[in-house]
Amino acid sequence: MQLTTMAWRTLMRNKRRSVITAFSVAFGVLLSVTFTASSDYAYTNMINTSAVMGLGHLSVEHPDYQDTPTLDKRLLDAEAVQQRALQTPGVTAAQVRIMGQAMFASGAKSVGGAFIAIDPGQETPAHNIFLRTLVEGQCFSADEEHGVVVGAKMAEKLNLRLGKKLIFTMTDKDGELVSELGRVSGIFKTGDDSVDGAVVLFPLALARKGLGYEPNAASLVAIFLSDHRAAKTIKGKLAGLWAQRPDIGVLTWQESQPDLAGLIAVDRLFNYLLQFLVGLVIAAGIMNTLLMSVMERQWEFGIMMALGMMPGQVVRLVLLESCWLGLLGLALGVIITTPWFLYMARIGIDFSGQIGKDYSAGGVLVDPVMKFRLYRESAMCIAAAVFSLTMVAGIFPAFKAGRTTPVENLKQG
Amino acid sequence: MNNTPLVQLENVSRIYQQGKVQVAAVTEFSLDVQAGEFSVLCGPSGSGKTTILNLIGALDEPSLGRVRLEGRDLAELGRSDLARLRRDRIGFVFQSYNLNPVLTACENAEFVLALQNIPKAQRRQRVMAVLAEVGMAELAQRRPDELSGGQQQRVAIARAIVSHPAIVLADEPTANVDSATADAILDLMVRLNQEQGITFLFSTHDQRVMDRARRLIHLRDGRLEHDEVRG
Repeated sequence: MQLTTMAWRTLMRNKRRSVITAFSVAFGVLLSVTFTASSDYAYTNMINTSAVMGLGHLSVEHPDYQDTPTLDKRLLDAEAVQQRALQTPGVTAAQVRIMGQAMFASGAKSVGGAFIAIDPGQETPAHNIFLRTLVEGQCFSADEEHGVVVGAKMAEKLNLRLGKKLIFTMTDKDGELVSELGRVSGIFKTGDDSVDGAVVLFPLALARKGLGYEPNAASLVAIFLSDHRAAKTIKGKLAGLWAQRPDIGVLTWQESQPDLAGLIAVDRLFNYLLQFLVGLVIAAGIMNTLLMSVMERQWEFGIMMALGMMPGQVVRLVLLESCWLGLLGLALGVIITTPWFLYMARIGIDFSGQIGKDYSAGGVLVDPVMKFRLYRESAMCIAAAVFSLTMVAGIFPAFKAGRTTPVENLKQG
Repeated sequence: MNNTPLVQLENVSRIYQQGKVQVAAVTEFSLDVQAGEFSVLCGPSGSGKTTILNLIGALDEPSLGRVRLEGRDLAELGRSDLARLRRDRIGFVFQSYNLNPVLTACENAEFVLALQNIPKAQRRQRVMAVLAEVGMAELAQRRPDELSGGQQQRVAIARAIVSHPAIVLADEPTANVDSATADAILDLMVRLNQEQGITFLFSTHDQRVMDRARRLIHLRDGRLEHDEVRG
């Protein structure tokens, strides 16, 4: 007779109580999956959205550019950096860009904002949210030396329409003010007014000419990954490639966008705390059940000890009951969570009616549709945490059962 | 030849604390039990029979005095050693059978052998032989709630003797069964004692048990009143 079998049969002696307790574990799984999967989806969405807003999941740039982003700090061989990055496993795209501040003026008004100079031959909507959200016109072609794409809000402020002129003034690599003329070829609308009122795209060649950059120079290479969680690993690989180049630095999205990283870190922390508190409540319920079961069976433990069962074996028996309860709870948890998870992963709940369509956090657009995405590590983590909690809840009842002497247990009969 | 008694109790007292009052369950009690005996501790309720069985069975510790089993002083053994001693050298038969309700008759009987880590095939073979001996082989796969009181007590006896213990301690083994079953159980125990030399020590106030005993140890108020050895 194995202790594991005995533990299972003991648990099934009071089926109703065991199943009710297992359902509380299952409910814990459901809650944990809900919290974690909604976070995994939201964080992934925010990180990927922030990546396509300019800097990528990784950005290769001059090491001092992050602290003082002036246009004299640049990569002199951006195209070579781009090609090398593209050969690294896990990298899906690499875009050469020049980003900086500028004043934009039309015949009517002027506003301050940011520009992103891009290579129209290489940029795709998949890695550029502004090209993805064009509402009028199109992106300038490689032949259009003076094409610009502006946000809808800026177009409104400066009274711009397709084909209209836009003058932008910026500081060149030597610190001199320079102005260039562009003509509006497209208007985008991301949904975030602060972005739509400030960002302008124009050709990389025009930026290089205006800023006095060398033919292959750029302020950064934005690198996109198939999985944002690999950012630190791939950064390590890329940084290794350019270890001998003091003029090249590699930043993860967390380093280039500390506000977003901080927002996610704080949110994740509160999420864990909430899950921990829910876990504690559930663990208290499990402990209560096991304790009741142990108290009811003191006489039985006395008999088993009288027959020669070691105190450690009694402890192990109760812990095995706890283990079975955890496994049963996990199995029930998977059963009740799966339909909910599938619905939320495929359809989700649309909160745009409550929070509006233009919702941003940490300067990044947030999807108003709440959906689920659960990474394998998260699922493993939930299973391990729920199971561990069940086991921890069993420790006190188990030691209580093993600590009592046989004669004391027998007196309870 | 080794003349050391199987069980030795030397001036044993057991005092319990009940609130602020101390109650002496056993007072300055001495006893030797030799291997192969079929003895009975008898006396009215509260005379200390069960306490003495618990002390011999290493379930309880004396407040004063010494208990020895096969020459070993139980006070010198730790909790695990005592558990090992109970497992390997002592068999218990309780008043209310006390079979584990989640185990079959066969599994209950092999419980001690499983604790001794005896291989499954070997213990199954031994258990089935003992169950046959006590007339329970046919009902080996039944759970306790599918057995009568007498059948459960037979399984409990099988559980007590299957590991070849030095002594079987039986606490009021006939108290919860009808007369016919009690007689059958006692006949079985007498046979096991005579044929296999198993030492039995009972606590009882059942006259039928006393009639079969070769030694009667009369107790009163936790003290030895009379030790009667029959021919």
